[in-house]
Amino acid sequence: MIKKYAVLLLLGAFALMLLPFVTEVTPFEELSPVAQKYVKDGPDELGSANLVSSVIVTYRGLDTLGEVAVLFIAAAGVGFMLRRRGDAKKPVKREASGILRSGTVFLFPLVLLYGIYIFLHGHLTPGGGFQGGVVIASGIVLLLLAGVSAKISGTVLHWIESLSGAVYVALGVLGIVLAAGFLDNRILPAGEFGRLLSAGAIPLIYSLIGLKVGAELVGIIDAMQKDEL
Amino acid sequence: MVNPIYLFVIALAAGFLLSLIDKAGRSAALTVFYAALAAMAGISAQAFIAILGGAESAMIFTAGFKPPFSINLQMGLEESFFTMIVNVLGLLSGIYLVKKLKTEKVYALVLYLMMIMGLNGLIMTRDLFNLFVFLEITSIATYSLIGIERNIRSLSAGFKYMIAGGLASMFFLIGTIYLYRFTGVLHLDSMAEALDLASGPAVVLAVFTLLISVLIELKPFPANGWALDVYEAADDGLVAVIASASSAAMLFVLYKITPLLNGTLLLAVAGIGLTTFVLSNLMGLMQHSPKRLLGYSSIGQIGLIMGVYALLVHSGAASEPMTLLLVAGGLFINHFIAKAGLFWLAGLVGKDSLEGWHVLRKKPVLVFMFGVFILALVGLPPFPGFFAKWQLVMVFSEKGLTLATVLVLLGSFLEAAYLFRWLGKVLKTEGEGEVKTSFAQGLPLTLSALALIGLGAGFSLWIPGGSGLKILYLPMLLAAALFLLDFLPAWVKNTLVILLMSLYAWQLLPGLEGYRFLFGIIFLAGGVLLLIPGYAFKGKRRGFYPFAVMMYAGLAALLISESTLQLFAAWEIMTLGSYFLIIRGKRSEPHALSYMLFSIGGAFVMLMGLGLLYGVNGQSLALTSLETLTQSAGVIFLLIMLGFLTKIASMGLHIWLPGAHGEAETDVSPMVSAILLKAGMFGLIVLMSAIRRPMIGNVDITYWMSWLGAITVFLGNLLAIYQEDAKRLLAYSSVGNLGYVLFGLSMMTHMGWLTSIAFALNHFLFKALLFLAIGGVVMRVKTKNMYEMGGLIKRMPVSFISVLIGIIALSGVPPLSGYAGKWLTFNILLEKGWYLQGLVLIIGGLIAFLYCFRLIYAVFLGQLKDNHRRVKEAPLPVLIPQIILMIAIMFFSAYPGLVLHPVGDFLLKYFPQGAISWQNNTALTAYGHWDGLAVLIITGVMFASVFALLLITNRKAQKVGQFNIVYAAERPSRPELTHVGYNFFAHYRKALGIFSRPFAVKFWDGVSEFAHSAADLFRKIYSGNGQTYLVHIILFVVVVYAFVTGG
Amino acid sequence: MTLITILGFILIVIGIWGMLSQSNIIKIIIGFSIVDTGIHLVMVSIGYLKDRTAPILDETVGKAEALARVVDPVPSALVLTAIVIGLAVTALMLAYAVKLHEMKGSLDIHDLKELKW
Repeated sequence: MIKKYAVLLLLGAFALMLLPFVTEVTPFEELSPVAQKYVKDGPDELGSANLVSSVIVTYRGLDTLGEVAVLFIAAAGVGFMLRRRGDAKKPVKREASGILRSGTVFLFPLVLLYGIYIFLHGHLTPGGGFQGGVVIASGIVLLLLAGVSAKISGTVLHWIESLSGAVYVALGVLGIVLAAGFLDNRILPAGEFGRLLSAGAIPLIYSLIGLKVGAELVGIIDAMQKDEL
Repeated sequence: MVNPIYLFVIALAAGFLLSLIDKAGRSAALTVFYAALAAMAGISAQAFIAILGGAESAMIFTAGFKPPFSINLQMGLEESFFTMIVNVLGLLSGIYLVKKLKTEKVYALVLYLMMIMGLNGLIMTRDLFNLFVFLEITSIATYSLIGIERNIRSLSAGFKYMIAGGLASMFFLIGTIYLYRFTGVLHLDSMAEALDLASGPAVVLAVFTLLISVLIELKPFPANGWALDVYEAADDGLVAVIASASSAAMLFVLYKITPLLNGTLLLAVAGIGLTTFVLSNLMGLMQHSPKRLLGYSSIGQIGLIMGVYALLVHSGAASEPMTLLLVAGGLFINHFIAKAGLFWLAGLVGKDSLEGWHVLRKKPVLVFMFGVFILALVGLPPFPGFFAKWQLVMVFSEKGLTLATVLVLLGSFLEAAYLFRWLGKVLKTEGEGEVKTSFAQGLPLTLSALALIGLGAGFSLWIPGGSGLKILYLPMLLAAALFLLDFLPAWVKNTLVILLMSLYAWQLLPGLEGYRFLFGIIFLAGGVLLLIPGYAFKGKRRGFYPFAVMMYAGLAALLISESTLQLFAAWEIMTLGSYFLIIRGKRSEPHALSYMLFSIGGAFVMLMGLGLLYGVNGQSLALTSLETLTQSAGVIFLLIMLGFLTKIASMGLHIWLPGAHGEAETDVSPMVSAILLKAGMFGLIVLMSAIRRPMIGNVDITYWMSWLGAITVFLGNLLAIYQEDAKRLLAYSSVGNLGYVLFGLSMMTHMGWLTSIAFALNHFLFKALLFLAIGGVVMRVKTKNMYEMGGLIKRMPVSFISVLIGIIALSGVPPLSGYAGKWLTFNILLEKGWYLQGLVLIIGGLIAFLYCFRLIYAVFLGQLKDNHRRVKEAPLPVLIPQIILMIAIMFFSAYPGLVLHPVGDFLLKYFPQGAISWQNNTALTAYGHWDGLAVLIITGVMFASVFALLLITNRKAQKVGQFNIVYAAERPSRPELTHVGYNFFAHYRKALGIFSRPFAVKFWDGVSEFAHSAADLFRKIYSGNGQTYLVHIILFVVVVYAFVTGG
Repeated sequence: MTLITILGFILIVIGIWGMLSQSNIIKIIIGFSIVDTGIHLVMVSIGYLKDRTAPILDETVGKAEALARVVDPVPSALVLTAIVIGLAVTALMLAYAVKLHEMKGSLDIHDLKELKW
C-alpha cells in the first residue's frame, strides 16, 4: 500500500514538473518559418496538394524511410522472437461464425480496394502509404479471423516486402542522380496540380510504402497468431 | 569522398533484400551481410581519411532542400570518426558472431545490420526528430536481438530494457515537439540559434526533457538497472556493440545537443556522470559475474566520459579542440575498445563467475590481451586512458575543478580495485579447462588489443609534453620484443637482458650527477647484478623478462625525468612492471593486489599534487617549477609526498610490503626490496630538494615526517621480531630501514640527507644480500618458516657467511657499513636536537638486533633437520651476486668517504652549511670523527683474537648428538615446538603487545569492509524488478529537474 | 494551452501510472500505449492553429490563401511517424510478452527477477 501511495506521490511531482508545458505555452499564432515555406512553396515545388504528404515523402523523406525501416525491423523482430518450433502443436481454433465468413468474403475486396485508393491518393486527400497499408492489413486480418484462407503465402509477402523496400531505396538514390538529392520526389514530372498522376514520385513512393507496410503488418499478425498462447 | 548517404542506402537495401537472398542459401546472405558491413566501414573510414587530409566535411541535404527545410546529414571530422569506429566494431562483432549468425534465422542478420545503420544515423543526422527515428531504429533492432539468446534471463532483461527505453523515447518526443514550438525548426543548428532568443520555464523544461531522455539512454545512476541486466544477459558479441558502439553513438548525440544546454544543465550532466562513475564502480566491488561486472564498469565509464565532457564544456576548456580530444576523446576511445574486447573475451571464456577465468591461462596470447584490456581500463601506461587521465587532471586543476578531480580519481581507484582483483585471479588460479578459439573470434580481439597499444603510442605523442616520453621508447620496445621472444629459454633471455641493460647503463650513467648517479648505480648496476640469479631458473620463465625490463625502464626513466609527466609515466610503468614480478610468487596474489592498490592510490594522490602544481604554477610541466612555487607549496608537497611514502611503505601505508616482498620469488624479493623501494626515496629527494620548507599553515610537514620515520623504524623492527617466516622478517625489517631513510631526509640538513643516502646505499647492499641468501636457502629447503630450518651452516656455508655479513651491516654494529649510518644518525640527532624522536629511533635500532640474530641462529645454527641432510648449497647464480655484494659491503665499510664525500659535495648545492669535513678517509663533525678502515681493522683484530682464543680453549669441547636434548618440563605438542626458535619472542609480544597490534591492517581492512558493505547496500536498489527500474527513472527525472530549477 | 494538450498530458500521467503500478505485463504494455497516445495528442495539439483547417489544398483552400488558413503540417507529419514507431514498439513488446509467458508461465513483472544486484 505504501508503495502505491509513494508511486502516486511521485506521479504528482512528475505532473507538477510537466505543468509549465500546459500553463506557460501558448499555441502558435502563425505558422512556423519552416511550415510557412512548406505551405507557400510546397505546392509549386513538389506538386502535392496534401501538404502533409509533401512533408512526409519529400521534405522529411528520410524520416519516412526510417519509419519504414522501423516497421520492417519490428516485423523482423517479432518474426525472430516468435520463431515457431517444428514440433509445436497447431493451436485449435474456434470455427468462425457464418456471418463473419460471408461478411468477410463480401468486404475483403472492398477493403483492399479502399486501401489501394488511400495510398494512391495520398498526395491529394488525407491518407497515404501507411494508412493505406494499415487498411489492407486490416482486410487480411479479417480474412484470418474468418478462417477463410488461414494460410497466407509467406513467399509472396516476402517478395512484396523486400522488393517494395528495395525499390523505395532505389528511388531515393535516383533522386541523387536525377534530381537535387536523396529521396527527392522530383525525379518524375510534377504533372498537373491536383491530378492523380502528379506530385512527382509521391504516389509511387506511397504505393511502395503501402505495399510494404501492409505486408509487414500482416507478417506481424501472422507471426503472432500462429504462435500458441 | 563517397557520398555518405550510401551508408544508409547500402544498409537498407541489403537489409530489405537479405531475406530474399537467404532463399538462395545462407552463405549468400552472409556474403551480402558482411559485404554491406565492410562497405559501411570502408565508406566512413575513407571519409575520415579524406577529411583528415583536408577535404571539406560533407553535408547531405536530403530531397535537395537546404536545412532547416529538409533533413540534413553531416559527415565532418567527428562524424566520420565516430561512424568509422562504430562500423568497424560492427563488422568485427559481426565476424565474432559468425557461428551464431550461420544458424540463426535470417532475421538476425537483418536486425544486426539495421542496428548498425541506426547508429550511423544517430551520429550523422542534424535533425532532432530524425534523431528520434534513428534512435528507435537502433533500439528496436537491439530489443529484438537481445532475444538471440533463447533464455528467460535475456528475455526478461530485454523486456525491462524496452519499457525503460519506451519512457526515454517519450521524453525525447515531448522535448522535441516543444522545442519545435519554441524555435519553429527541427534542424539542430538553427534550433540552437533560435533558442538563444527564447526563454521561460517551459523552454528550460523542453530542453530538460530532451536532455534527460539522452541521459537515460546513457544509463545514469540510479536509472540504469535495466542496462545492467542487459549487459549480463545478452549475447557477448551483441553486448560488445551495445556497450561500445551504442554508447558511442549516444555520447555523440549528447555532444550534438550540447549547444542547446545552459550552464546549469551542463553542471547537472557533470554531476550525474561523475556520481554514476563513482557509485557504479563502488558497486562493481561486489560483483562476481563477469558480464555484470563489465556492465557496472561500462556504466561507470560512460558516466565518467559524459561528466568529464560536460565539465570541459562548462569550464570553457572544450573550446580548445585538442583538449577535448585528448581528455574526453582519450577516455572514450580507451573504453570503447577495451570494453568491446572484454565482452568478446567473456564470450570466449563463457563462465558465469570470475573464478572460472583461469581457463585463459592455457593460452598466453589471450592472457596478454586480457591484461591489455584491463590495464587500459584502469588507465595505466602505455594505454590511451593513462594519457587522457593525466591530461584530465591537468586541465581540471587548471580550471580549479578539484572536487571533480577527486571524484574521477576515486572512481578510477575503485575500478582498479576490482579489475586488478580479477586480473590476479586469472593469473594465479589453478584449475582445469581450456578456451577454444576460432579465427573469427580471435581476429576482433587481436585487432582491438593492437589498436589500444597503437593508440597509446599515439596519445603519448599528442599530449602536451609527450615528446619527453621518448626516454621510455627504447626500453618499452625491448619489453615488447621480449613478449614476442617469450618462447626462448630463460637463460637466453636473461643474457640478452643483462647485456642490453649493461649497455643502457653504460650509456646513461656517465650523464648523471650527484644523487642521481648514485641512484643510477643502485637501479641499473644493482639491476644487472640481481638478474644474475635468473640463471638458476630452468625452462622459459614466461612473462618474467618483459616486466622486469618494464620495471627497470621505469626506474631508469625516473632518473632522467625533467617533467612531471615523465616522472609520473615512469612511476606508473615501474609500478606496473613490479606488480607483474611480485605476483609471480606462489601465494602472492592477495599481496600483489594490495601492493597495486596502495601504489595506484598513492599515485593518484601524487597525481592530484602534480595537477595542483600545474594549475598554480602557470601550466608548467617542468619539475623545476617545484622550486619556484609561491602558493600552495605545502599542499602540493604533502600530496606528492604521500605518493612516494606508499612506495617506501611508511608506517600506516606499509601493510602491502611484508606479503609482497615475502612471497615473491627468490630473485624478485631483492629486486623489489633492495632496488624498488629506493624509487620512493629518490622521489622524496627530488621533491624535498625543490621545496625546502613545506608548510601548511603553521605546521612544518618535515617535523611530522621525522616522527613518521621514527615510528616506522620502531614498529617495523618490532613487527619483524615476531615473524616465523624468514622472508617476511626481512620484509618487515625493510619497513624499519626505510624509516631511517625518511627520518634522515626529514632533517632537512646536510648531514641528515647524507645519513639518509648512506642508509639507502647500505640497505641496498645488505637487503639484496640477505634476500638472496635467505632466498637461496628457501629454494633448497622448500620452506620459509625458520622453525623448520636449523643447522644449515654446514650444508650452506656461503649462504651463512652472506647472512652473517648482511646482519652485521644491517644492525649497525661496527665494523660494517651499517655503523656509518648509526654514527651519522647520532650526529644528526645532536645537531638537530630531536631527542624524543631520537629515543624512539634508538629503541627501534636496538630491536633490530633481536630479529637479526634469529636469521643466523634459527636458520644456520642448532640441529640440522632430518629432511635437510642432503640439502645442497644454493645455486651458483644465486651465490655469485652475494659474493659481489659482500665485497661491496666490505669496501663501502672501509672507504665510506669514497661515496659519501662526493655525495656530500653535491648536497652542498641544497644545504651549504653543516657539511662533514673529510680528511682522507676520516669523517669529521662537530661531535667526533670516524674512519671506516680503522674501525674495520680494529674490530677485525678484536674478532680474530677472540676467535683464536675460543679455538684454543674449546679444543676439548664435546660434540652433542642429534637427540641429546633435555627439555625443561615442557612437552612439545606440535612439531615446531621442538624448535627453540619457534615463537622466540613470545614474551616480548606480551610486554609490547600494544604496539604490535595490527592497527594499520585493521584500519585498511575496515576501509575495504566499509566500501564493500556500502557497495552491497547501494546495489540492493537493483532489485531485478523492471517496474522498480521505471520508478527509478521517473524519480531520477523529477529529482534532477528539481535540482536544475532549484526547487 | 488547448484542451487537447491537457488531455494529452493527463493520458501520459495515467499511462505512466499504469506502467508503475500494474504488475501484469500486458497491462504495462497498455500503459505504454496510453502514454504513447497522450504524446501523439500533445504533438498534434502543438501544430494546431485556432480556426484553421487541414493543410490539404483543394477547391476551398487555394494555394494563395493557404498560408492564412491551414494548420502546421509538420507536427502532423511527425505524429504519423511517431504513431508507426509506437506501433512497432508495442508489437515487439507484445511479442516479448508472448515469449515470456511461454517460457515462464507467468505475466507478472515481479516474477522476472532472474537478474539483480
